[in-house]
Amino acid sequence: MKKNFSLMFILLLTSFLGITAIASAEAPVMREQFVYSLTSFNGSSYSKSFCPSTEDTIYFIDDEQNIISPRKTIVYYWPITQRYMAGFSTLNEEMVGKLEILQGGKVINTLDKQTYTLYYPKGYGSEKAMVYTDAAAKEYFDKYKAAVDELNAKLREYYENMARYRELFNRFLEEVKRRREAGDTGPIDIPIPQEPKPPEFVEFYATELTDGFVLKLPVGTYEIRIRAEDGTLVEGSEKKVVVFASRRRGGIGYEIIPGNRWTKRENCDEPSWIIHAIGKNELYFNPFQQDEFNELYYNKLVDPQNIGRLERWKWVHVDPIDKVNLLLGYGQQILQSIKKEPYFVKQIPGAELGYEIMKYDDDLKQKGYQPTFESYKVILDENLPKRDYTVSSVNADNGQPVHQSERIIRLLKKENASYLYAIPFFPLIVGVFVILSRRNRVEK
Amino acid sequence: MARSRKITKILFKRELLYSLYSWGYYGVLFVSFFASSFILKNFLDGIREDDILVSAFPLNYPLYITIIIISLYLVLVSAISISREREQGTLEVLFYGPVASKNFLMAKYWKDLFLGIISLGFTAVYFYLVSTFTNLGFTPGLIRALIMGIFLISCVVSFGLFISSFTGRVRSSIIALIALLGAFLAIQFSYSTLLGIEKESLSVPLFYLRQTLHIVFQGINWVSPFAFLSRGLDSVVLESWPLFFTNILYCVIYSVIFLSLSIFIMNRRGVKA
Repeated sequence: MKKNFSLMFILLLTSFLGITAIASAEAPVMREQFVYSLTSFNGSSYSKSFCPSTEDTIYFIDDEQNIISPRKTIVYYWPITQRYMAGFSTLNEEMVGKLEILQGGKVINTLDKQTYTLYYPKGYGSEKAMVYTDAAAKEYFDKYKAAVDELNAKLREYYENMARYRELFNRFLEEVKRRREAGDTGPIDIPIPQEPKPPEFVEFYATELTDGFVLKLPVGTYEIRIRAEDGTLVEGSEKKVVVFASRRRGGIGYEIIPGNRWTKRENCDEPSWIIHAIGKNELYFNPFQQDEFNELYYNKLVDPQNIGRLERWKWVHVDPIDKVNLLLGYGQQILQSIKKEPYFVKQIPGAELGYEIMKYDDDLKQKGYQPTFESYKVILDENLPKRDYTVSSVNADNGQPVHQSERIIRLLKKENASYLYAIPFFPLIVGVFVILSRRNRVEK
Repeated sequence: MARSRKITKILFKRELLYSLYSWGYYGVLFVSFFASSFILKNFLDGIREDDILVSAFPLNYPLYITIIIISLYLVLVSAISISREREQGTLEVLFYGPVASKNFLMAKYWKDLFLGIISLGFTAVYFYLVSTFTNLGFTPGLIRALIMGIFLISCVVSFGLFISSFTGRVRSSIIALIALLGAFLAIQFSYSTLLGIEKESLSVPLFYLRQTLHIVFQGINWVSPFAFLSRGLDSVVLESWPLFFTNILYCVIYSVIFLSLSIFIMNRRGVKA
């Protein structure tokens, strides 16, 4: 029996080592492949991804515009991330044809490509984006182009004015110097040149006009495929489309920017989640309206190659909430009432963090800086007693608490961490008591 | 029926007291709590003064480690419990009396399960003390995890008894246990490694090996008690009551199947080493 087990072990070990060796020796192979380039609505903005041939299902949120663009590109497997990558910069051929949408085996709609643009009302990378198609797309893109052209003209004017200003200012300084050297000690009555103000940057952004199939479907399962101009089906274009809805809407979630790492933000979306801190923190809270989606569906929507679990749900931030105040409290006691304010992150060479978060004020505005972010700043003082505090949102107009907006901030007693090594001894103490008492009973 | 229950009760009491009066049990609890303390100390040291950590279950990972260590102890104790009695000849002596395989196995099962429940009681006290000292919350999720722990330990004990039922010697039981757990791990690693290779790049034998391993891996997920442990604690983290109760049901079914198999094998195998 022992011999059999040893043999089994050796076999398993050999196969494991062999497989590992094969895995590490593989080099990526480039293949030309039909893929769908996806621009999917993710609750507030649009996620860009692609669907390789290995994924048979595409996921979308119901009743929202999503863009599908069939392309021929180079696809290769990247073992480190265990994902297929698309080399769009090497090959990005647009596939012609019509998109057929099927349900229950029957074609329910045939789509032609439409021109579209992604419009970001608060600039590229901001939280919200919309899709505009056809004439509206052209209108928004033209509006953006006109605004950029106008900005460029204003910038040219600004740089010319700035050069003139520097020249005038130098002349002014030279005149002051000349008069002082000439023995003039009285007030100098020449006007000081005024520095020109920089133009306001274009706040919104619209992407280049592009063609794609615009899909807006109700909840359900569909199939899609591309029919080429000659009437044949394009090989590899058949995919399943799952259109899903949110399970719950209108929850309140928080994005927290810790003062010590402002680029690495944390989310506190469930009321049961607890914010653990030591008690020397500057935290910037941003409340959001949020919708709850199935984790698997949502992750696959962001990128069809993502993984997720069907039995899991996740909150997705949809809209920032502005008209509220934040309260930091303990029990019924309110410790801080906080309003939303703009902040500016200043890079500091040599400092420990490399930056400083400062309140955005008129001085920074005068210098032409834009606020880095807007937020509710909660300060946790190191002298606060180590217990549980609450953060909640209240309506700024009537002071009414916002439903399910309360979160717990738990201040940990880090100084007691050394006691942790003493606690495990208690079963041994119980053991000594049990065994000795038995020994006494037996002896008696 | 009443007589059979009485016999099981007498055997259970004898076995339980024997285990509770031994140092090993308390030693394992100490080791498992010490491992948890080590993790928690590092966790607390890892949170900088000006940093935060957002979590609903900060104590769940240390709890997982504690339950794993306690389970390993219980699976080992269960795995050698029958074979030891077989090897020492006590089983033969017992079976000359009114003891049947069912009484004997159920006594062993209840004893190990009770040892597990007492361990979970100790675990609750440990985490309550941790929570008092550090302010890391003793949450309802932790209580749910401890309740789930009872059923997971039931799986572990049934699995251990199953191994012990077909082995004649203590050494064979230990080797069988290590070989099985090692095989589970090796299959899991091999399958993960093969998953890392592009499907199109796999040779035909490797492709079939991956398919086979996939099926075997799925099977292991229903055979290994440690897979039940991961799933059970996952259902607590997911805060899903249907999943929580489904996992409890799975654990009960698993225990019943493995205990029945153990009784069947013990009857076939006999009492001699």
